[in-house]
Amino acid sequence: MQDLALLMVGAVLVNNVVLERFLGLCSFMGVTTKVDTAVGMGMATTFVITVSAMGDWSLQTFLLAPYDLGYLRTVTFILVIAGAVQFTEMVIRKVSPPLFRTLGIYLPLITTNCAVLGVALLLVEGHYGFIQSTLFAFASALGYSLVMVVFAGLRERVALADVPPLFAGPPIGFITASLLALAFMGFSGISAN
Amino acid sequence: MSGAVGSAPDDAGLAEGVARVVAVDHGTAWLEPEPTTSCAGCLSFSACGLKSGGSSRALVARRFPLADDQGYRVGERIVVGLPESAVLSASATAYAIPLLTMVGAGILAQGLGAGDGTGAAAILGGLAVGLLVARVVAGRLARRGAFAPRFLRRVAPGGGCGQGTGEPGMTGGPS
Repeated sequence: MQDLALLMVGAVLVNNVVLERFLGLCSFMGVTTKVDTAVGMGMATTFVITVSAMGDWSLQTFLLAPYDLGYLRTVTFILVIAGAVQFTEMVIRKVSPPLFRTLGIYLPLITTNCAVLGVALLLVEGHYGFIQSTLFAFASALGYSLVMVVFAGLRERVALADVPPLFAGPPIGFITASLLALAFMGFSGISAN
Repeated sequence: MSGAVGSAPDDAGLAEGVARVVAVDHGTAWLEPEPTTSCAGCLSFSACGLKSGGSSRALVARRFPLADDQGYRVGERIVVGLPESAVLSASATAYAIPLLTMVGAGILAQGLGAGDGTGAAAILGGLAVGLLVARVVAGRLARRGAFAPRFLRRVAPGGGCGQGTGEPGMTGGPS
């Protein structure tokens, strides 16, 4: 259980998918204008990353690795991610049509989020079992959501500040992101201890 | 609020979106959210499959009713709003509940020393339980009218909701 906890803490903080691996930067800059929006997008992405990781692990273990089809990995994983998004959409539509009508917007955006594919490829490198894979994917997605929400909160504050015209808008956003990345570098000491 | 004709007061803290009236039937107007896309600013936008913002079938599935107390006409575009807290609680219901039960089942299986097969069964079982719980919670919220959008204002021809960019609500997408 301690290994599992370390794996998850490492994925959330130490090897954060956005600030350490630089994945999902498009949504990181685009969907973080408001905290509410970032929370919604974060939860949707977390769900899809976790579900697609299960599919990716199964295909990698039972099809790609035994038949030496590693060169098809990226294409296969993209298909699995698209399938996971469709699955999520279908399930939400069945579970609650009002929910689907409210949340439908987030789902198509996730298909083009490179963090989803990045996490799936990281799982292959890690040679994890099924449960570890699922929990690693969940923790990585949790790290993504955490950074999205923190950054959205910072941007809401910065929007109220008197920023010099030259830095207004995306420039101050990038500077804020760089400072946040520096702050997350502090977590890298955890793994050494 | 470009293009808005008349505005309802008390519309702060609402996620806004533009919808088109597609039918009016016995005091109920049926609206279809206007397709929008997340990446209209991307250089590859012209070649991207997302540019339409969704198929017509997907849009039909997202039609929603609204009480016809404003005298809507078919083809008219209106701005509708949903409390941001409703979007948040919808996200939590749809995604967080199944995720928590799924991950909880996985951790429990790992703690009991389950192998890959048993672990997969536990995680899928957790997902199924989570979806059932989400269904019950969503039903309660829907009965309370938590997901019911409300009319904010009319949109003049060529206008938009004015706040859609970067703020995904019911129909708008992040840039």
